[in-house]
Amino acid sequence: MEHHASFLAKWLTELFHLTRYQWEGFGIIQEEGHSAHEYFSVLERYDHLLNASLAVFFTLIIATWVRSRMTKIPGPLQQVFEMVIGGLDDMVKASIAHHAERYLPFIGTIALFVFFNNLFGITPGLSPATSNWNVTLGAALVVFCYYNFHGMREKGFWSYWSHFAGPVVFLVPLMFPLEILGLLSRNLSHSLRLFGNIAGEHLVAGIFFAILPLFLPIPMLFLGLFFGLIQTFVFTVLSIIYLSGAVAHDH
Amino acid sequence: MKKFFTTTLLFTVSVALFGMEDATSTVTKSLFEGQFLAHLSLAIAAVGCGLAQGKAVAAACEGIARNPQAAGEIRTTMIIGLALIEALVIYALVAAFAIK
Repeated sequence: MEHHASFLAKWLTELFHLTRYQWEGFGIIQEEGHSAHEYFSVLERYDHLLNASLAVFFTLIIATWVRSRMTKIPGPLQQVFEMVIGGLDDMVKASIAHHAERYLPFIGTIALFVFFNNLFGITPGLSPATSNWNVTLGAALVVFCYYNFHGMREKGFWSYWSHFAGPVVFLVPLMFPLEILGLLSRNLSHSLRLFGNIAGEHLVAGIFFAILPLFLPIPMLFLGLFFGLIQTFVFTVLSIIYLSGAVAHDH
Repeated sequence: MKKFFTTTLLFTVSVALFGMEDATSTVTKSLFEGQFLAHLSLAIAAVGCGLAQGKAVAAACEGIARNPQAAGEIRTTMIIGLALIEALVIYALVAAFAIK
């Protein structure tokens, strides 16, 4: 897959006169024996990191701003945030039976990070960091570590991992590797779903822009907004489901 | 449905025959290398996904029509299910990117 840097990275490269390097094993297009090389500056090569950190800063700034001017009678922005956090709270409390409020900050952070990254897909000049697999795999791995840690903390190391062995003793050599494989492949599906959706949507919007840049991409942009929201929702709900499966214990 | 399967079969057979007839020609080579296969795999995946998502949405609509009070929960479950179905096409898309 060829690399497309966002316009922001290109502008910043031009603005600060950054050196363009040729990257090893990357951006090299083989053409009939001789290879054509592409040159990228650091910002263009690590475009996804630039956009992801932009999303993080944006989230931080908007959250701090809303928090610093919280009032009894909420303004428009505060109302939006109250709605979002109320909805997340309902979702977490519906699936996790005990101490659901403990997991809300993490789930909310993941949801906001993914949502703002998806929104960058329809912002001119930026590219969504979630259309790079590295970013979504990172988010999925963070969720993975989080629910395994909380499962072990809630149930204890031994009883958490013995849960994967199943109830029947002589089936353990069969069941345990399968369950571990299933646990690991969750990361793959969790990250690839988000990455594929956002990257595909971005690609289709780009093709529409190439056909006719005037009015044709508008439905695609609306669809991008909608898909970004839906994919954020799905990513969050799946995180909550994995978490509730890890920390659930019967009384 | 019958027509669809017949068309698919005919298409497959014709492609196979075409391939056997002149295996060394560059046209056939380009057909079976890279982009064509990537696009075909995506199309096949999209057919299955369309059928499955249609079934899922139809069942959800029926459920909501019978019991409108449960609309919220049915909608949430349906969206999760749709995302899980869609993931299979997304795998095909990622594989198509990889082949291309």
